[in-house]
Amino acid sequence: MSGRIGRTGKSSKAAKSSKTAKRSKAAKARKSGKNGSPVTTAEARDTRSSEKYGWHGRLLRVDLTHEKTSIEEIDPQVSKAFIGGRGVAIRYLYDEVDPRVDPLSPANKLIFATGPLTATTAPTGNRYMVVTKSPLTGALAHSNAGGHFPTWMKRTGFDLFIFEGKAAQPVYLWVDEDAVEIRSAKHLWGKDVPTTTDALLAETDPNAKVACIGPAGENLVLMAAIMNDKDRAAGRSGVGAVMGSKNLKGVVVNGRENPAFAEDEAMRELSVTIAKEVGADMLAGSLLRKYGTAYVPQVTNEFGILPTHNWQAGTFEGVDSIDGPTLTAQYLIRPKPCYRCPIACGRLTEVPEGKYAGKGEGPEYETISAFGSACGVDDLAAVTRANYWCNELGMDTISAGMTIAAAMEMYEKGFLPKEHIGQPLRFGDADAMIEMVQKMAYREGFGDELAQGSYRLAEKYGHPEIAVTARKQEFPGYDPRGAQGMGLLYATSNKGASHMEGDVVYEELFGVPVKEELLTVEGKGELVARFQDAFALIDASGLCVFLALRYMFSKERMILPTRLSQLMKLTTGVDYSPSEILKAAERVYNLERLFLLAAGSTEDTLPPRMLEEPLPDGPARGQVSRLGEMLPEFYKIRGWNEHGVPTPEKLAELGLP
Amino acid sequence: MKVYVKLIATYREHLPPGTQGNTTSVEVRPGSSVEEVLTPFGIPLDASSVIAVNGRTVPLDTTVSEGDKVVAFSAVAGG
Repeated sequence: MSGRIGRTGKSSKAAKSSKTAKRSKAAKARKSGKNGSPVTTAEARDTRSSEKYGWHGRLLRVDLTHEKTSIEEIDPQVSKAFIGGRGVAIRYLYDEVDPRVDPLSPANKLIFATGPLTATTAPTGNRYMVVTKSPLTGALAHSNAGGHFPTWMKRTGFDLFIFEGKAAQPVYLWVDEDAVEIRSAKHLWGKDVPTTTDALLAETDPNAKVACIGPAGENLVLMAAIMNDKDRAAGRSGVGAVMGSKNLKGVVVNGRENPAFAEDEAMRELSVTIAKEVGADMLAGSLLRKYGTAYVPQVTNEFGILPTHNWQAGTFEGVDSIDGPTLTAQYLIRPKPCYRCPIACGRLTEVPEGKYAGKGEGPEYETISAFGSACGVDDLAAVTRANYWCNELGMDTISAGMTIAAAMEMYEKGFLPKEHIGQPLRFGDADAMIEMVQKMAYREGFGDELAQGSYRLAEKYGHPEIAVTARKQEFPGYDPRGAQGMGLLYATSNKGASHMEGDVVYEELFGVPVKEELLTVEGKGELVARFQDAFALIDASGLCVFLALRYMFSKERMILPTRLSQLMKLTTGVDYSPSEILKAAERVYNLERLFLLAAGSTEDTLPPRMLEEPLPDGPARGQVSRLGEMLPEFYKIRGWNEHGVPTPEKLAELGLP
Repeated sequence: MKVYVKLIATYREHLPPGTQGNTTSVEVRPGSSVEEVLTPFGIPLDASSVIAVNGRTVPLDTTVSEGDKVVAFSAVAGG
């Protein structure tokens, strides 16, 4: 390995961290290993405290205002009760951040959080969460990403990074396995994500991994993402804008401090067993490896829930041009898995020629529904190019695409004058769409208004009914008028409209693990609550939902996380039972809810188009969301009152304040 | 009578060779069930497939009518 940090001489204004004696003996053991006497994992583990299994039990606090870092122990009881990742992060956010704070002010905090199963042998144990107060929703953000960065972050020996305050000048954080440094990023400000990533690797260590923001985050675009490994996104709710508001351009991580397992042999055996099962399924013919999630437009279109022309319709006549087989045939180079993932849903693609030429990752389903059908664009090359731009500029494809779709409807209806946009903006105009993506990231011209998201845009022009959002966040690609459970999910989700907080279309649409009806409302309260807790659990553990839902829960119905609790037990040594670990997930979900309510985001509702305008086409024609019929059952199952507030009894049961 | 069969994503491979796109039409006798329509294609007719007629999920013994569209795809966690 080339020079250690602090000796490279490239850093400027480095506030060298308080490298304290708290750094583990394992790091020293590793060092000697690098000098030619290999240290086995078993030997390295022997140097650890016996209580540090799965969790490192330690966080890195980064005070950007004073450019100081410090290391803190994490109370093992907190880790146990909130699992990790999204769970431990909300505990810290709730304790340390006033929910009423301006999300883009120094008083907000930005938390990167790995789970106990991140960087373990558990298949897909390679996720991290970004948790903060969202500038888009004014409530909670918890955005999840894979790639390589999460494992490398965990290997630094920290479970969490907490960023607070605001740096006077652009900086980046460089965490090596035995050193922490805040460095100037002035030379990188304004640079896109690939350029920034390459530059950071060149000036730190080529074996490190990078998460960073692009121009969208710097310009405080409300749907800015944090990108890691160039093309993976902690995409939603504007977490990139929070990072930009702190003048934090990037985070670079490296290390070899893998978490130890309480029951090493059994953990490895179970991991292999699960990997073999997944592998056998993949060999049997995997949709996700072959097509990524890009096959889904065909499915949602068939059931009439593919968002089309800004949710004015549920079927799109150009669907065959923008679906998975077309992507695979025309632009796919190869599937690109996250670190050690047996599924490989990621797409490495290239549009080889023409005005949309480019190379990168994507698109996946959400991007296709946002930039494709929702914008009325049936040119997959254009959709793919829009995806590349979002990755390079650091922006959420869902909110970006859906906001442009809303602007298109407003333009066509005469609510948004051409002079304000600077050009026509019709459905199906791929060139205009791509132009808007770039303007949005730089807040150039009309892009400045698009950068605020569809809710604020539609409100400003006096037509709030055009925006299809929940808690001001754009919907993902499932029309809840034809998928009733999804409507309840969007309305009650702690992070605003999101499929990643309990994607009940797994059952309603995809038949995983059992097929539910799309158009019924009975039992949907139970379904949504169960999925919300399951997703909270998966996000807290450090696994990916694609694998976890199918292989970590009881097979019949996805009720008990039988295998997940086993993995957690073998990894952490905590004697989790399936029901106990579900209780921990419920605790996480309820604490998030308390943050949300305290932030003033108290209304669980959907926009008027969903509640009052029946779908005009397709198999779900005539349907509206029957939210009002589902909410009471949901609140009852949750143990919340009729206003959606957790009851004192529920809070006491969960041990929450 | 004629019904349409649309097989999505990996199930496209079960369409007759030379089929353009993802849909074909078949002649079946009146009163045929979804199961009878799909059996010749060789896709799994169990919980590992999602099967719908005209955009509604149906049981395999559902009777099809002239012009119906029968759709099937592999049940998998998606989007």
